[in-house]
Amino acid sequence: MTKLARVLLRGMTPLYLRFLVWLRRLRVMTVKELLQFSRDGALILFMVYAFTFDIYLAGSGVKLQLNMASTVIHDNDRSFASRELIDRFRPPVFNVEGSISRADEGTHLLDHGKTMIVLDIPPRFQQSLLSGAPTHVQVRLDASNSVLGMFASSFCRRIVESFGFQTGLKRLGVDPRRLQSGPQVKDSYRVWFNPNQDDRWFMSIAELLNIITLFAILLPACAMVREKERGTVEQLLVTPLTTFQIMFPKVLAMAAVILAGTSISLFGVLRYCFEVPCRGSIILFYAITLLYVFTTAGLGLVISTIARNLGQAGMMAIITYGPMIFLSGAWTPPEAMPRFIRLLMLLSPLHYYIDASYGVLLKGAGLTLLRDSILGMAILGGALFGLGMWRMRRQFQ
Amino acid sequence: MNLKRILAVTSRESRGMVRDKLFFAMAFIVPSLLILTFGYGLSLDVMHSPIAVLDYDRTPMSRDYLHRFIDSPSFSFQGFLKSERDIYPLLASGKVRAVMIIPEHFQKSLLAGRPTAVQTLIDGTFPFRALTVKGYVIGINNAFNMSEFSRYLSRTAGMSQERALSTLSPIRTEVRCLYNRNLRSDWSIAPRLMMMVMMICPPFLTAMGVVREKETGAIYNIYSSTITRGEYLIGKLAPYVLVSICNMAVLWFIATEVFGAPFRGDRLFFFAASILYVICTTGIGLIVSVMVTTQVAAALVTFIVTVVPTVFYSGMFVPVGSLSQAGRIVARLLPAMYYTNIVTGCFLKGVGFEVLWSDALVLAVYAASLFMIGYSRFHKRPAS
Repeated sequence: MTKLARVLLRGMTPLYLRFLVWLRRLRVMTVKELLQFSRDGALILFMVYAFTFDIYLAGSGVKLQLNMASTVIHDNDRSFASRELIDRFRPPVFNVEGSISRADEGTHLLDHGKTMIVLDIPPRFQQSLLSGAPTHVQVRLDASNSVLGMFASSFCRRIVESFGFQTGLKRLGVDPRRLQSGPQVKDSYRVWFNPNQDDRWFMSIAELLNIITLFAILLPACAMVREKERGTVEQLLVTPLTTFQIMFPKVLAMAAVILAGTSISLFGVLRYCFEVPCRGSIILFYAITLLYVFTTAGLGLVISTIARNLGQAGMMAIITYGPMIFLSGAWTPPEAMPRFIRLLMLLSPLHYYIDASYGVLLKGAGLTLLRDSILGMAILGGALFGLGMWRMRRQFQ
Repeated sequence: MNLKRILAVTSRESRGMVRDKLFFAMAFIVPSLLILTFGYGLSLDVMHSPIAVLDYDRTPMSRDYLHRFIDSPSFSFQGFLKSERDIYPLLASGKVRAVMIIPEHFQKSLLAGRPTAVQTLIDGTFPFRALTVKGYVIGINNAFNMSEFSRYLSRTAGMSQERALSTLSPIRTEVRCLYNRNLRSDWSIAPRLMMMVMMICPPFLTAMGVVREKETGAIYNIYSSTITRGEYLIGKLAPYVLVSICNMAVLWFIATEVFGAPFRGDRLFFFAASILYVICTTGIGLIVSVMVTTQVAAALVTFIVTVVPTVFYSGMFVPVGSLSQAGRIVARLLPAMYYTNIVTGCFLKGVGFEVLWSDALVLAVYAASLFMIGYSRFHKRPAS
């Protein structure tokens, strides 16, 4: 067929027919990707593992709070008052595991990591309290984990403080019951969105989002780079497919796979095992996830235009994945970061996705509240996709 | 074992690695980049939490109370709200993390010697953050109560305010935070990050390197040559172990110099234990590479198998003793926990072989058994 004839033919073909052909090409390519994916048994196995057991592991084991902190008492007083104080170090926060008679035993236990807190009560503790002389207790704690060290330190201070306050009142002859009517501010708390402060909710959702991110970067990038590494991309380029028709089906197929995994995890692990509520619209959550997968796949496509082989692609995926998690604000809130990093966070799609998914699942937020996050993802996604397509075209033409 | 054949495989592998310039560069860049980003990014200090206030009282006293929060570095004041309807959108969009409601007659009640109640609504999405915010609020509130109560006592019981205060707080709490006196989160996190990064990168390098040969078919050259599988595996893995040891040194430098974490232990012991650990993690890469056939699968599998267990079941954030029963078993089955003990022991606690020998021994056994499994699962004549 001469070029002229082809141009004439295209001019005569109705628009809807051309669209049908376009759609069919898209379908064929997507099915090809899905087939290729389904033949990698180990990959599928681990994908299922990632979306189920891995998220279960991440959600179930971790409590970022002081929990049964092993405590050892060095009581030099052995009096009524000292026992009363010790009695206030209770589970679930503390777990008093025994007492020691020499101070250096405590150091030994701490050095060996056998205990976390050593409480030293001085001799004549009760006597000082009764006579109104100032006294002190010493808390030695293993602060090699700074977060738990901080919790332990503030818990211990609070316990001793309130014990001292009550003995002080008693000495003044004030009935502690009268305290209820003294001038004081009673602080009451309501923790919204997660009233029991169930760590499993936060952890399992965070891990699900991380896994989605990992797959959304790696799968499309690898699907593309594999064609380059094996040379099959040359075959694709001589077909009538456009660059978009080559790239987009990969994203489409992987998005389908990822959404399937997300469903398994959402209903099988999050809702079933951890009773994570879904307070907002589940359709909205899926829509946001889909948008996020496309955005992140755009990043994967950009990587695939830079990497020459799969080894490089994998490395580059890690190099982008690490900072993405770090800039997501899940662990470190934006307000605790330096200013320029807060600006960088605006470039991390995960940052928007985390806000939006916690918003939908835990907070029951709707479209109006999440508008900014969705807009941010859409803009980033469009830019990344455009960049990937542009680089791809430049590479092969 | 023929040393010449091992060296031939090693030199071939190293040359392949060096010639792929991007891959080679990244083998060195990725670990440093990971420790830097996570070291700066995983700071769990809760500071400047945005807070808003709904003040129904608007008296000097309520303002005085609020200023204790506004002036504290733990909070960052975002403004007064007009009505309760404003609360939900602010908390749900994450613009503030806590809202404080001060009731009417706040000042009147306190001056009359009656209690009053302040309600704090906290965003509980991340329980750790909610817990910390709660702790700050309790602390500031207690201090306010103490001064308010002592003022009241001095007025009613006729004692000086200072005396009242000292009677009400007779016990001083002396908290000594051992090993990390100022509770610096980078000190505690940077050494543990060495553990995490070295758990992710060596298996990744190894698995990609071995599986590439499988996927491209270059491994048939090995299958048909005279080299034994033991010689092949040793020669093949040696360059990756070497690269990882270099990376270990770089990470050590970053942890001590950039993050300023103190190294108080025995360098020789730490170096030896680190080599054991690197061999261990390289062995994990080997196991992955005999299980999968494509590089995509290799990349994903190493990532998934290594990241979650090391982050959550190694004592990195949560001490192993605080895990659930099942969690403790998972932790004991993985090498990460033992190396975490070694890292924190050598860096912060300044203990050495006399305390940590058992952990090092477990690592050695682990490394040996991983290589045994890898060796027995690797066949020169593939099943299919």
